[in-house]
Amino acid sequence: MSELAWQRTPLITIAFFLLKQLKQFVTNISNLIPVLAAVFVAGKNAVWLPFALAGGYLVFTIINAVLQQRFFLYAIADDAVHIRSGLFNRQHLTLKYERIQQAEIHEAWYFRPFKLTILSVDSAGSAGKEVMIPGLTMPLAQELRQRMLEAQDAPQSTNTASSTTAPYDEADVEQHFPVSEIIRAGIIDNKLFVLLAVLIYPISQLDLLEDYVVPWVQANVSWLNDDNAWLLVSGAVVAGLAVLFLLAIIVSLITYHDLKLSIRGERFQAKSGALSIRTLSFRYPKLQAVYLRRNLRARLLKRSVVRVSQLQPRQAQGGAQQGGQQFILPVVDADFLARFRLLLRLPDSAQVNWQRLSNLALLGPSVWLGVLAPVAAGVLFFALESGVLGLVLTALGWLLLQTLVVLRWRNYGYSFVTSDTQPKEQWFVVRRGIFSRNENWYPRHKVQQIDVEQGPWLRLLGFSHLVLHTAAGSESIEFLARDEALRLQEEWTQEIARNHRRWM
Amino acid sequence: MSIAWVAPEPSYRSYLQVRSLLSMLILAGMVAGAFFTGIYPADVFPLWWAGAIWAVLTLFFSVFFASRRFLFTAYARSPEGMHLKRGALFRKIRAVPLNRIQHVEFKQSFLERLFGIARLAMYTAGSGGADLTIPGLAPEYALQLKTELLTTIANEPEQEESNNE
Repeated sequence: MSELAWQRTPLITIAFFLLKQLKQFVTNISNLIPVLAAVFVAGKNAVWLPFALAGGYLVFTIINAVLQQRFFLYAIADDAVHIRSGLFNRQHLTLKYERIQQAEIHEAWYFRPFKLTILSVDSAGSAGKEVMIPGLTMPLAQELRQRMLEAQDAPQSTNTASSTTAPYDEADVEQHFPVSEIIRAGIIDNKLFVLLAVLIYPISQLDLLEDYVVPWVQANVSWLNDDNAWLLVSGAVVAGLAVLFLLAIIVSLITYHDLKLSIRGERFQAKSGALSIRTLSFRYPKLQAVYLRRNLRARLLKRSVVRVSQLQPRQAQGGAQQGGQQFILPVVDADFLARFRLLLRLPDSAQVNWQRLSNLALLGPSVWLGVLAPVAAGVLFFALESGVLGLVLTALGWLLLQTLVVLRWRNYGYSFVTSDTQPKEQWFVVRRGIFSRNENWYPRHKVQQIDVEQGPWLRLLGFSHLVLHTAAGSESIEFLARDEALRLQEEWTQEIARNHRRWM
Repeated sequence: MSIAWVAPEPSYRSYLQVRSLLSMLILAGMVAGAFFTGIYPADVFPLWWAGAIWAVLTLFFSVFFASRRFLFTAYARSPEGMHLKRGALFRKIRAVPLNRIQHVEFKQSFLERLFGIARLAMYTAGSGGADLTIPGLAPEYALQLKTELLTTIANEPEQEESNNE
C-alpha cells in the first residue's frame, strides 16, 4: 500500500468541482428558501445585502472548488482504486474492482475541447457510494475501465475465454440507433408532462394571464369577439403544448444522439450524447433486473424501452444521482428486442406461460368502489344544481374506475421461466400495466429475501402475496393461494441457498 | 411445511405488554398535561369519557393485542435460511437464504435489558433498513446464533463457474 502513486487531476477539473457544487446548490435550494426569504425581507432596508451574499457565495464556491481540486488525489492499484480528498475532513476511499457494479465514462461538454473525461464507478456499498475521477484522458479512462472490468473476469476466465481474448475494438454485437429511432424515443419518453408540471406553478404565481395577456388582447385585437375567443385560446394552448413536445424530443435527441450499443462477451456498453458523451458499461454477472417498458405511445409506435438495473440500494433510489446513470435503451424495435432478449439470456416471449390473477382479486377493489359510488352519488345528488347530473357523473366515474380496475387485473401476470440460452438462466417475471405493458424480469438466484404477506382481507379469501426482494428492488406476486405461496417460499429459499453462483 | 418454528422467550410477551403500556402512559400524560394547563375542553368531552376510552384501549392493546402479537411471532433456522413470522393482524412470513446475509447485528434496548432479552438483526444487500430482526431472544443464545451465522456465511463456497447448470 505504501508505494501507491498518488496523482492529481488536471487544473481544468476545477470546472468539474465548481459545477458539482452548483448542482448541489440547485438541488438544495428548496431547503434554503426560508433563509432566502429572510434575506429578502432584511434586504428591503439594505439593498446591498443580497448582492453581498451572492458575491460571497460565488467567491466561496470558487475558492472551495480550487481547494477541492488541489486536495483530490487518486491512485490506481492492481486490484483497487484509491481516492484521497477533502481539506478539513480528510477522506481516504478504497474501492475494489470486483465490487464495481458499473462504470461510466462521461465526456462532459466542458471537457471535450481538452479531450478529457470523467470516469465514474458505482460500488455495491449500502450508501450507494459513487466514485468519480475527473480529468482523465480518454485512453487512460478506457484502460482503467478495462482493468476494472477485467479484474472481475479472473475467477471465471475459462468461461468467457474465447470472447475476452478477442481484440478490444471488436465487439460481438453492435447496434447503432439512427436519428429516426431517437425521435421515436423522444415521443415515447416525452418529458412534456414533467415540463408542464414544473412550468405550471410559476405561471400560476405570476398572474401572467390576468395582468398582461388579457389587457393586451383587449387593447390590440379589437376584431376579436367572444365567438372565436375560445378558438384562439385553445389554438394558443395547443401551440404551446406542441412546442413543449418538440422541446422534449430535442432533449432526447441531445442525450441519446448517436446511441451505440456494443456487447463483447459479458460486457454490455452503451454510448450516446451530442454535447456530453456518456459511455456506460456493466458486466452481465452484475445484472439484477431487466425492465421492458411499453407505454401507450410505445405500443402505437411498436417499440419498447429496455432498462437494465444493477444493485441499487433503496436509499439511493429517487435521489439526485438517478437518471443518466442507468443503462437504458430508449427505443428498441421488435426484431432487435428479440435478439437483445437472447443476449440478456431472457427466454423467448412465446415461451412465457403467463399466470393470471385469480378472479377473486377483483373483489376487494370492486367492493370498495361499489360502496363508495352510492355515497358519492348521494352527496352529488344534493350538492349539484341538477340531481340527475350528479347521478350521471357518479355513474360515469364509477364506470371509468371499475374499467381501470378490471384492466389492471386483466393485464397483471407473472411467470417463472427458464431460458434456453447458453448458459441457462432462471427468471421470474411480473407483467403489469393499465394501458402500458411493463415487464420486470429478475434472475431467480439473485433474490435476497422472500416474504409471504397476508392481511385480514386476504386471510378471509385464503390468499397471500409473495413479495420477492432483490437487490434492484422488490416485486410482488399477488393473490397466490396460501399453500402455494408458502411452498414457493420454501422451495426458492432452498434453491437460492444451494446456488453458489455469483450474484453480485 | 417442515419448518420447525421456535417461539421467542416468554418474557418477550411481558416486554411487549410493558412497551404498549408505556406508550399508553405517554398518551395519558399528554392528556393530563392538557387538563392541568386548561387546554383540555372538559365541557365538550368530559374527562371520564376520555379516561374510559383510554382504559379500554390500554386493556385491548396491552393485554389482548400484545399477547396475540407474541403468539404469532416465531422464528426458525433451517440449513438453508432464516425464517421469521410476525404480525397479529397483517401476517408476514419472511425467509432469507443464509448466503444472502451481509451482516448481523446484536441489539438490546434499555427496556429489553430489563427483561433479559435481545434482538438479532440480519441485513441483506440492496435494502435500506434491517431485513430480518428476530425479537425476544435470550442474549446468550442471540450471541451464539450470531457467531454461528457468521461462521456459516464465512464458510460459503466461493463463486464457481457461472455456467454450471
